Amino acid sequence: MHRFTGSDRALALLILALAGCGFLILVGPVIVVLVTSFTSSRALQFPPPGFTLQWYRELFDPARSAQIHIAAGNSLMVAVLTAVVATSLATAAALAITRSRAGWARVAEGGFMAPLVLPGIAFGLASLMFFSWLRQPPSLALLVAGHAMIAAPFALRTVGASAAGLDPALLESSAALGAGPWRTFRRVTLPLILPGVAAGAFLAFVSSLDNVPVSLFLASAQTDMLPIRMWGMMETALDVRVAAASGVLVAVAFVLLLAMDRAVGLARRMSG
Amino acid sequence: MDGVRVRYGQTLAVRDVTLGVEPGEMLALLGPSGCGKTTLLRTVAGFIRADAGRVLVDGNAIDHLPPGRRGVGIVFQSYALFPHMSAAENVAYGLEARRLPKAEIVRKVEAALAAVRMESFAERRPRALSGGQQQRVALARALAIEPSILLLDEPFAALDRSLRLDLQLEIKRIQRRFGVTAVLVTHDQDEAMSMSDRMAVMNAGRVEQVAPPAEVYDRPATAFVAGFVGTTNRLYGRVEAREGEDYRIRLDAGATVTAASPRGFAVGERVLVCARPEQLTLRDAGDADPAAFPARLRQSLPIGPATIHDLETGASEIKLHEARRGAPPPPGPVRIAILPGATPSIFPEGETA
Repeated sequence: MHRFTGSDRALALLILALAGCGFLILVGPVIVVLVTSFTSSRALQFPPPGFTLQWYRELFDPARSAQIHIAAGNSLMVAVLTAVVATSLATAAALAITRSRAGWARVAEGGFMAPLVLPGIAFGLASLMFFSWLRQPPSLALLVAGHAMIAAPFALRTVGASAAGLDPALLESSAALGAGPWRTFRRVTLPLILPGVAAGAFLAFVSSLDNVPVSLFLASAQTDMLPIRMWGMMETALDVRVAAASGVLVAVAFVLLLAMDRAVGLARRMSG
Repeated sequence: MDGVRVRYGQTLAVRDVTLGVEPGEMLALLGPSGCGKTTLLRTVAGFIRADAGRVLVDGNAIDHLPPGRRGVGIVFQSYALFPHMSAAENVAYGLEARRLPKAEIVRKVEAALAAVRMESFAERRPRALSGGQQQRVALARALAIEPSILLLDEPFAALDRSLRLDLQLEIKRIQRRFGVTAVLVTHDQDEAMSMSDRMAVMNAGRVEQVAPPAEVYDRPATAFVAGFVGTTNRLYGRVEAREGEDYRIRLDAGATVTAASPRGFAVGERVLVCARPEQLTLRDAGDADPAAFPARLRQSLPIGPATIHDLETGASEIKLHEARRGAPPPPGPVRIAILPGATPSIFPEGETA
């Protein structure tokens, strides 16, 4: 048996301390914003002097928070459409890339993954210039296009992991039994990669919902996005409703995450 | 198959193979890994396009047809059952793709599962089935579409040894009952011998011999076949005399033996005599028969009803297989003779085995 020596224990303590720090840095701000959203004060301050639900009441008030509601509606619509578009593209790309051993597949994969490492702000500026060069006025469709580029790598990663685990003999088997490509996709491929597709759609949805850099450039007065509106509220008035809106976003993401994990084991997909 | 040739890059995987399968017959493609047998099977299935030659079924070329329209049923080495479908859904898959009426699908699925004795497992997912059960479902799925050819790609490779023989017998029985023409790809000679009506022994993309299993064993066409199917002892020598198809050969080991071959050899030509372990017999060291040659017995292993003798003569090893009679002789010098009536094969010396 291995006996723990002094240096082993010191190492264990160090790792524990680092993990604690990491946890604090990651989770701490979320807790701060959640606590602050219940403040009784009129200012964004931590720790709050008392607790009320007034900011949530105000946030959900249709008259006083109409602007926020419009922005939230836009953001939700764009996020849903982004999830659909990005996941469809990524699924098609992932299936083609995993099936092909050719050099172009590696190049295509690199191209699809590029937005992940490209600075978002540069990509936002570039897409604005690109779309104005094409003489496209700002619209929700442009936002979806921009967000889908940013979100596709997430979906490509999760769908690709699922597709790589697909036994090619299953597809050959389906073909030999007389199924065409469409039936094979619908009855064999899609059901088997569905966990990866769902996980990819979830990640695309979340990444679109809180995207700032691309929205900053592509959003307009008519297509106000929630994160942009929240930033505006912070800049002008230090509005506590921003904390409440953050609280709602965190809650929504958390509930979705739990639901996804229940359904398809997101944690497993991410590590694949 | 008519002059089928498949090329991978610069390598020829299958070299101009012409091979026929009779209706209702089970033909085994036997060979070491990389000999092209799986490539040949995949060409028939339609997953690979031949670079030359044609694949014909009942005289009609099927090369232009996609796999699903060729009327072939395939059982893959991994079985390739759809993991998210029950056994019955797996079997129904090919029938649904053919857009058969629902009632007919239900009836055919039941019949196919009953044929492989899996009717009580119809609702199980593949994961909840054993390897042997999965294989039977895969067979039912391949047979349900009533294929004109059944292709079996190493179907027993993933099974326990103890299970194999039972399933081999069962699949053979089912194949006979359905009267379906079948091609079995395998690297296991026992499997090829027990299952097939004829076997095609392949090496380096070529078919070396096509014959019923017993004939392949008794009269191997090439030194490769002699070495690959069963065990063989290689004895080198020189042709001393010829009389029709009978040859008298002076072995390097120091004996004069007679053997027959339809191939023509010249007097004085160097030859390779391939003798099966059971075609040889042990003699005393003092035996004076000029047809026996000296060897040294290293050890004797009793295996079931037989004894395997491990011997060496000069630089070469000899395996000798005899019925077990009492205690084996002690290790040391002995002589080896070819059994009277045994028919060892002769090949040119240069032929690689």
